[in-house]
Amino acid sequence: MTRTYTPWALLAIALALAAVYLFPLYWMYVTSLKSGSEIFANPPSFWPAAPNANIYADVWARRTMSTFLWNSVIIASGVTAITVILGTGCAYVLARYRSAWIDLGLFAILMLQVLPASVMITPLFVGFNQIGLLNYPRTAVVLAAAAKAMPFFVVLVRATFMSVPRELEEAALVDGNSRVGAFFFIVLPLARNGILVCAILTFMSAFGEYIYSKSIIQSPLLQPASVGLSGFLGPNSSDWNAIMAYSAIYVTPILLVFVILQRRIVSGLTSGALK
Amino acid sequence: MAKFFNSLRDGVGFDLILVGAAMVFLLALAGLPLVYNVLMSFQQVDMFTLGQLIRPFAGISNYVAVVQQPEFWMVTRNTLVFVVGSMAGQFVLGFALAVFFAQKFPGAATIRGLFLVSWVMPGLVVGAIWSWILAGDFGVLNSILRGLGIIQSNIFWKSDPSFSIWAVIIANIWLGLAFNMLLLSVGLAAIPRDLYEAAELDGANAWQRFWTITLPMMRSTIGAVLSLGLIGTLQQFDLFPALTEGGPANTSNVAGYWSWQLSFQLYDFAKGATVSVMMFVLVLFASILYVRSTRHEVRG
Amino acid sequence: MSAEPQIELVGIDKHYGSFHALKNIDLTIPKGAFVALVGPSGCGKSTLLRSLAGLETISGGTMKIAGEQMNGVPPRKRDVAMVFQSYALYPHMTVEQNLTYSLRLKRVPKAEAARAAREVAETTGLTPLLGRYPRELSGGQRQRVAMGRAIIRNPKAFLFDEPLSNLDAALRVHMRKEIRALHDRLGATSVYVTHDQIEAMTMADHVVVMRDGVIEQQGSPLELYDTPASKFVAGFIGSPAMNFVPGKVSADGQSVQPDLPGAGSVALGRSVGAGRSVLIGLRPEHLQVGGDGPAVLRLPVSAVESTGSMTYLTLGGDPEIMVVDTGRTSVKAGDTISVSIEPGNVHLFDPATEKAI
Ligand SMILES: Nc1ncnc2c1ncn2[C@@H]1O[C@H](COP(=O)(O)OP(=O)(O)O)[C@@H](O)[C@H]1O
Ligand SMILES: [Mg+2]
Repeated sequence: MTRTYTPWALLAIALALAAVYLFPLYWMYVTSLKSGSEIFANPPSFWPAAPNANIYADVWARRTMSTFLWNSVIIASGVTAITVILGTGCAYVLARYRSAWIDLGLFAILMLQVLPASVMITPLFVGFNQIGLLNYPRTAVVLAAAAKAMPFFVVLVRATFMSVPRELEEAALVDGNSRVGAFFFIVLPLARNGILVCAILTFMSAFGEYIYSKSIIQSPLLQPASVGLSGFLGPNSSDWNAIMAYSAIYVTPILLVFVILQRRIVSGLTSGALK
Repeated sequence: MAKFFNSLRDGVGFDLILVGAAMVFLLALAGLPLVYNVLMSFQQVDMFTLGQLIRPFAGISNYVAVVQQPEFWMVTRNTLVFVVGSMAGQFVLGFALAVFFAQKFPGAATIRGLFLVSWVMPGLVVGAIWSWILAGDFGVLNSILRGLGIIQSNIFWKSDPSFSIWAVIIANIWLGLAFNMLLLSVGLAAIPRDLYEAAELDGANAWQRFWTITLPMMRSTIGAVLSLGLIGTLQQFDLFPALTEGGPANTSNVAGYWSWQLSFQLYDFAKGATVSVMMFVLVLFASILYVRSTRHEVRG
Repeated sequence: MSAEPQIELVGIDKHYGSFHALKNIDLTIPKGAFVALVGPSGCGKSTLLRSLAGLETISGGTMKIAGEQMNGVPPRKRDVAMVFQSYALYPHMTVEQNLTYSLRLKRVPKAEAARAAREVAETTGLTPLLGRYPRELSGGQRQRVAMGRAIIRNPKAFLFDEPLSNLDAALRVHMRKEIRALHDRLGATSVYVTHDQIEAMTMADHVVVMRDGVIEQQGSPLELYDTPASKFVAGFIGSPAMNFVPGKVSADGQSVQPDLPGAGSVALGRSVGAGRSVLIGLRPEHLQVGGDGPAVLRLPVSAVESTGSMTYLTLGGDPEIMVVDTGRTSVKAGDTISVSIEPGNVHLFDPATEKAI
């Protein structure tokens, strides 16, 4: 808009802003590579004196991270599967019609979207206890977290379906498809990218799920990585290099997926979140 | 019967199945618990009655007991401070960044997209990182602030009662900032360029253009972003166990975390349910704002 | 227009909630006919066409295609093909896949489907494009694919919903002829929706004029032009639109006096109710500047627009009278001129009911 400063100066400012904003991530990786004494150096060093990656293997083994991460994967997969299977069809119908009933359904979905997990956990826990579901704690967490994830998924995927022209489905019907066929062979393939992005987002957020797992899963063998992290995290924690190494192992896969799919995720979000 | 199957293939039966499956699931795992929650807040719940549906009726005694808890007003105040502080920080910084990234320069969209990593990270990990950054004696924030001469002695962010809630707010602003910025960027991009050109020809300077064009044109976006911010802030939970556990002495405790503590640390499920019903009323208010601000999109 | 009926609509009603979109539509379309549904935007043309395709459920009446009752039958069992305004090409399929989609659904053997695709591509000029995706085609090419996709089906009826409105003017004129030629060659039955009366008039054997969910009038193009049943049809068919001037029938019922200063009375060549008030309809192309007949109107010229082959003169102000003069003219804005008309070309309408008299 202004001609006085060049785009390159703006780029430099942007990079500086990004550096400041992403500093916490940098700090996580740097701390994890420092020795136990270097982390308490004053002033702190912004680059480790003797980077030592052994701590990763050490934390991995000592904190039984393979078990924790495996449980995270199981829970996140279950949540994603339920959310995608049930949510996609629901989003499609909510996108296709326009009526008072649809408005009501959308309203209900929006209401569910805003329910905090901390409001739901008490009744869910007591209810699961009554029907005996607490004996299958991971299943219980998957069900609870899928209900939490679904509204957001439906809202985003609905926006994707709205961008698939209605005429394409109608053309397929006239060409000889049933509703089922037109949905699976025309509408779904065209909405595939949006659904995929939303599924990945669902997976990522379920991968980091904490409150339900913490409240419902008692056995360390079944707990996900978030609960594992909370085990040695508290106001008085001190082995920060280990905590940061654990965190780094935990989030690096998510960060990689995000960076690779950044463009798609951002465009998926922007088209859906405001609609 | 044949008619029924035909409707599944060709008619509204197909739609009803698709929407019905999801609705039944949500009803069972969100609708019912919500009702059950309200029911429990009027019941006497203890270890012996935990497994029963019909428990002694308690009237409003749970509500009275909750309000009479010594920490009730502290928690209420903290919840307000947390909500207002987080939202204000996320929105103002997010808006500033959105305006900045709306300028044309190489890589603008990509760099802006990178900001969103904060949003996809597990809340507990974000809490852990900030817990370390905000540590009192060895935290990097303190040493940066000292280096810049802003503070003389260390601030004990997590353990000083006058700062503890702000420790969580800072982490929460970082967490939600990028999402605010992204949504506001979308709103900014939707303002037609020629409006600015017309205003420039009419003699408006950049500041006047912001107030007379950008802000009014962004009204509905701002409404949606603020209500989404309110919702996101009320949903925030993971930062509390990672940073302060509500302490010291409840000075950083908010309704959501308190409700969880009552249920899962003190095993007082009735009080936990009562607090979460109170919180639900707050959320209901937020969602009415949200639905109102997105209504034109819903009707589209 | 003699063959047995291919499409029969009796008393069709369609409600959208409280909105009555189609009101008691009766329409019979013989086999092999090219029927145009025309009317202003929002009058229900698309709704009627989509009801025929089975994309909308009708609220009442009976609908038959080739003698079979179609109420409640899903689109895939109706054996009709439709060309959409947006073309609705499947973006994830090549041109060939788009063309053969319906055949694949019918489990036609691959080789046979490929041969059919080649044949259709030949007739529609798509042969070099068979491997491309819709996004790699121009607007006109997409339109042809949409046509080809319908042709390959050899359906009981072709349904077109404003298929040319996304093309530029020159291509539109060309495609009009091409679609009509295809129709004749295939011996198909076509229902063609358009809001453009020129398209309807030039392409169709039978034109159905709709307004607010009812059929205002139907007939051959020239019938509609020569004997419009109402002021609405008279104003809709013909370009530029017919002029309407209030007036009064003379005492003997043989002539009419326009209610404009300086106007002379016009012979009708027939007898109508003496002394009644009427709306006089005068087509711009029937008004002759300084013709031989007695002057009907004598008015100042307010605008002269010349296209080279034609000159459009706007006379007076309230109401404005449009006159089309072939060739060139020396008339300038500000001149006052007289125009005349043949008695047989005067249309009369009842000012209250707007029906033709
Ligand atoms: N799904 C719908 N719900 C409500 N009203 C509709 C719907 N589809 C069309 N209409 C209304 O029906 C009328 C006829 O529409 P349509 O048949 O599309 O008109 P057109 O003659 O321009 O093709 C319009 O007034 C339109 O607003
Ligand atoms: Mg239409």
